[in-house]
Amino acid sequence: MNPRTPKIHSRITSTRREFVREACCGFGGLALASLLHDEQLQAAGSNPLAAKPSHVGGQAKSVIFLFMAGGPSHVETFDPKPLLNKLNGQRRPDEFGEAKYQFVHEDARLLGTKRSFRKHGESGIEVSDLFPHTATCIDDIAVLRSCYGDSVVHSAAQYELFSGRVVPGFPSMGSWLLYGLGAESQSLPSYVVMPDPKGALEAGQPMYAHGILPAVYQPTMFRPGERPVLNLDLPKHVTSQQRRRTLQFLRGLNESTLDPANEEFNARINAYDVAFRMQTEAPEVFDLSREPQETLDLYGIGSEPTNDYGRRCLFARKLVENGVRFVCVVSGGGPGNMQWDAHGDIEENHLRKAAETDRPVAALLKDLKRRGLLDSTLVLWGGEFGRSPDAQSPTGGRDHHNLGFSMWMAGGGIRGGRVVGATDAIGLKAIEKPYHFRDIHTTILHQLGLDQHQLTYPHLGRDERLTFLEGRVIREIV
Amino acid sequence: MPKHFFNLPSRRNWHSWMAIVLLAACSCLKVNAQETDGTRFFRDRIEPVLKAQCYSCHSRQADELQGGLRLDFKAAVLRGGDSGPAIVAGKSGESLLIRAIRHEGDLVMPPKKPKLADKTIADFVKWVEMGAPDPRDREPTDADDSKLVEARKHWAFQPLRRRELRAERREGDKSKSSTTQESSLSVLNSYLSASSSPSSRDSQLSTAPGKRALIRRVTFDLIGLPPTPEEVEAFVSDEAPNAYEKVVDRLLASRHFGEKAAQLWLDVVRFAETEGFEYDRHIPGAWRYRDYVIDSFNQDKPFDRFLVEQIAGDEIEPESHECLTASIFHRLGPVRRNAGNTDIALSRNEVLTERTDIIGSAILGLTVGCARCHNHKLEPISQKDYYRLQAYLAATEEHNLVLATADEQQAWEAATKKGKDEIARVQKLAKDATDAAQKDQLAQQIEELEDKLPAPLPTIPATHNDFAKRTAIHVLKRGVWENKGEPVQPRPLSVLVADDVAEVSSGETQPRSQLAKWLTSPNHPLTARVIVNRLWQQHFRVGLVKTPNDFGLNGAKPSDPELLDWLAATLIDNGWRLKPLHRLMVLSAAYLDRTPTLDRPGVGVRATTPHRLSAEEIRDAMLAVSGRLNPKFGGPSVIVPVDPELVNLLYKPSQWEITSDVTEHDRRSVYLIAKRNLRLPFFENLDAPALQTSCARREVSTHPPQALELLNGTLANDLAQSFAKRLERECGSDRDKTIDLAFRLAFGRAPTAKEQAQSAVFLREQPLSEFTLAMFNLNEFIYLR
Repeated sequence: MNPRTPKIHSRITSTRREFVREACCGFGGLALASLLHDEQLQAAGSNPLAAKPSHVGGQAKSVIFLFMAGGPSHVETFDPKPLLNKLNGQRRPDEFGEAKYQFVHEDARLLGTKRSFRKHGESGIEVSDLFPHTATCIDDIAVLRSCYGDSVVHSAAQYELFSGRVVPGFPSMGSWLLYGLGAESQSLPSYVVMPDPKGALEAGQPMYAHGILPAVYQPTMFRPGERPVLNLDLPKHVTSQQRRRTLQFLRGLNESTLDPANEEFNARINAYDVAFRMQTEAPEVFDLSREPQETLDLYGIGSEPTNDYGRRCLFARKLVENGVRFVCVVSGGGPGNMQWDAHGDIEENHLRKAAETDRPVAALLKDLKRRGLLDSTLVLWGGEFGRSPDAQSPTGGRDHHNLGFSMWMAGGGIRGGRVVGATDAIGLKAIEKPYHFRDIHTTILHQLGLDQHQLTYPHLGRDERLTFLEGRVIREIV
Repeated sequence: MPKHFFNLPSRRNWHSWMAIVLLAACSCLKVNAQETDGTRFFRDRIEPVLKAQCYSCHSRQADELQGGLRLDFKAAVLRGGDSGPAIVAGKSGESLLIRAIRHEGDLVMPPKKPKLADKTIADFVKWVEMGAPDPRDREPTDADDSKLVEARKHWAFQPLRRRELRAERREGDKSKSSTTQESSLSVLNSYLSASSSPSSRDSQLSTAPGKRALIRRVTFDLIGLPPTPEEVEAFVSDEAPNAYEKVVDRLLASRHFGEKAAQLWLDVVRFAETEGFEYDRHIPGAWRYRDYVIDSFNQDKPFDRFLVEQIAGDEIEPESHECLTASIFHRLGPVRRNAGNTDIALSRNEVLTERTDIIGSAILGLTVGCARCHNHKLEPISQKDYYRLQAYLAATEEHNLVLATADEQQAWEAATKKGKDEIARVQKLAKDATDAAQKDQLAQQIEELEDKLPAPLPTIPATHNDFAKRTAIHVLKRGVWENKGEPVQPRPLSVLVADDVAEVSSGETQPRSQLAKWLTSPNHPLTARVIVNRLWQQHFRVGLVKTPNDFGLNGAKPSDPELLDWLAATLIDNGWRLKPLHRLMVLSAAYLDRTPTLDRPGVGVRATTPHRLSAEEIRDAMLAVSGRLNPKFGGPSVIVPVDPELVNLLYKPSQWEITSDVTEHDRRSVYLIAKRNLRLPFFENLDAPALQTSCARREVSTHPPQALELLNGTLANDLAQSFAKRLERECGSDRDKTIDLAFRLAFGRAPTAKEQAQSAVFLREQPLSEFTLAMFNLNEFIYLR
């Protein structure tokens, strides 16, 4: 018996050079090297972020994740449940089975919704009155009504939504995509997270991070305000002219003292060049003052309550337009009720959160579409879970709910105007075509031409991948 | 009649045929002959099919036993699985197994494979009709597991090969053959000399540029700081034959040695001072573990003792603060806590998982954690092995030892109670409130009150055994705590112990001591190999085994097994002391030889390419050369200011309580807080580990945000200003002297004439702080040659 197989299952990377070779050509033994032209290989050799070919075609180039943090209710948004209203105030009938909740106890009563649903578009998909604008785009949207995850608490569910694991420390979707496909833009960060300026989320920064992947695949966290990227600004006492001169000086000394043929040092010089380019070119993308008023109005920029999320959605469009691979636009941050985490009063919370986001979300879809970007940009909408059909509080709140809830996708080759899967008659459990986060991950990878089995990275004896267990492509929508 | 009854025996079965014929001829009872006949039929016709088609899911080798059914011994077949007995002897029509292979019911076997051949199915029917003769009377044990028996031959599971290192001699090599009288170093060097280049060694030891590069390298490697210009010049001018040895011995004796050595271990055990997840609670006194590691390495505590203290410190010396501090080891993993309904059994399972897996990665160098949900797919580690390992920790609980007088404790408790009562009062208001805005306001008030609770008293967040709360450990199907299978007691991994080693009795009062004893036994094949490999990697960038946390079948093979075993044996023979090993490595020919190409594969593991310093080393070096390094040792961790937007990304921004004494902000990086949910961007950009899982080896990546960090980041610019001030202080307005000193401080050498000229031109127009910033950004500052 010879159990040793020549796989890169265990990390044996020893130098950056080997790493680059591995990162560019070595996904799980896939020999891309032979497919690459020398020039490409050379380019990749000095820059691990150089664009790389996908595994199998793929229509999408970028992903925008509209992260509704805290968990929006499915029964108030995309999953109408008339029976739930009929059973309002009653104990949940036994036939629906059991559910574990973070706060709701066994004696809870079901809570009907005050929202009303109406059919929209040619597809006639029902959307609640929380989202009048999004509803106008419904024919571009594939609604997944049968999503489920493994955890009913925020932090673990958020880790799973982003990284496929209920524990921190593993790379997020954005880092995986960057690792798999490289960057299209060399003057912008390629994986951008725009947190809600109102505050943080439970899972914290590790949720977005690169985990076991090298730091080159880390997210860039945008800060609120005009200059969103940390370290992109020169220190106050230094002028751009001065700094340019410093870089020249630095380059001159570097070249005279150390082996210029060394690949590592070339990579470093390249990194400084790109950094300087980012410094000068990126701020143009962050400048919204040159956008036409019509566009600003479309996103609800300049008026409340849409100004903040609208600005960030418009940034997202501009970023993907400039080749950024993954953008996450977070709605919700800070204490629970500032997120979609409506424990106390679902009405108050969801009316407020929907009013902040509905117009910007619809604007983003329309704007991408009219610019011809929707075909190459996959938009994902949703939270780390939905909300319980059972009431949590006398004031009409709902608890977390991971057994069945809704998310949606649009663009990037996703077929819109479709509904996939179903929860039971009260929205407790996904019973028809249940899809796990890993299936959503697999579908996203698929649309970008990546294969979950090939996009791996060795760590502690395992070839880790985004889909911890094997995921399925959601065939109904691709 | 089935055709095969008339077949001639194959050549392979000829002997058994003969045996039967002979038995019959010896007028044995006819019934016996028939039984033997049935047995033979089973061996020939049935068993091979079971092995090939069924065992992968229905035997002790199954990665994950399906349907609770085993088919690898007689009693199990008759007992059956979740759906009942697999066969009813003599009645093929009632036998579930027959129905399944005939595809007659819901159960279709083998699954996802073509139906068995008609002939094979007919064999099974016949066998059942014969009464299902089956000679497999007892449950198979480890000794029957051919996979396990074979795996035991794997190099890393074999005892250390205690052989003398022997090198092929070069022509004309005058050195004597190694004898036991010779020192370890000369043994090692004569072994290495077969492939090393003496001229390269000589240039490192005798030329000025070689010596400058060498002292810079060895100083970073042993204490993680740059040498001072004085240290460099003293070495360069010291012509004594043992000049280099003196440098090494000085560094090994330095208190900074432990600070550097500790980082390696802290990475491996994924040391952090907060629990991660939502609350990312700060564990009071977790920094004591960091100091414990530093002190242990500085004292050169024997490594076996070091491990015993961490695994079982509270058992062996429950009164010793040092041993209790060591037991913080079990508290270092991320811990998920949540509000509301807590699933206590699930949380306990998560904690035990963390504590088990880290022993595999850090100490055994095995990917034990993979066997949590199923038998390890690549290693000879069964799920049962995994849970037996976990069972050593079944009674291990958190135990916070408060280091305060009774009066102090009383006062603290009173103040805490007062604060908590107030919180409870507001919580009640919040619960009764109906207005959402009011609820929010009260929630905020609660947070503020929580922040005002008295700071924890000095604490050792240790562990102890609580046998009353002991978790019953079962093999968990798919690793899910609710799917309890067979109960198990502690036992070492089967592949590493003899088959007759029994489980530790459930009455054992010091289970972790038993574990520690096994791990640190001088005969243990892994513990010593794993640690010497980590040290080799520290000094040579690549380990002799390139997968430092994975010595299993799937890990990399050692590039030089003889050398690895010799080093491991040397460690054990020297009383498990690590400092002599560090000394041996950095004095060795392999460390001094910088020839880039070496044809002998075994020793091609020496470092010859430039090596980028770690994030911590770069920060510490900038502090050192700018004259700002605060060399204080030990104590509570320091929280430095960071961009407020980053702090606001914390769920509880108030956790980032900046250390008020600003001189503390200039301490070495090892003393900065290791917080899971907020790592310094400087560290993050330069590949410091994520603090969530064991980091066996630092990645090195090069990318634009790194350049932006070092060019525009607050830390780099702030320290560049200080560096400039230091130069002004020491050199006044003398430009030449300034440039000279800057180079000596930053790189341990004087500038070349060209560099001097380039710098002078630059400084004519540009501020000194831009010059010093450039020094920090130069490859020569960031890389070791």
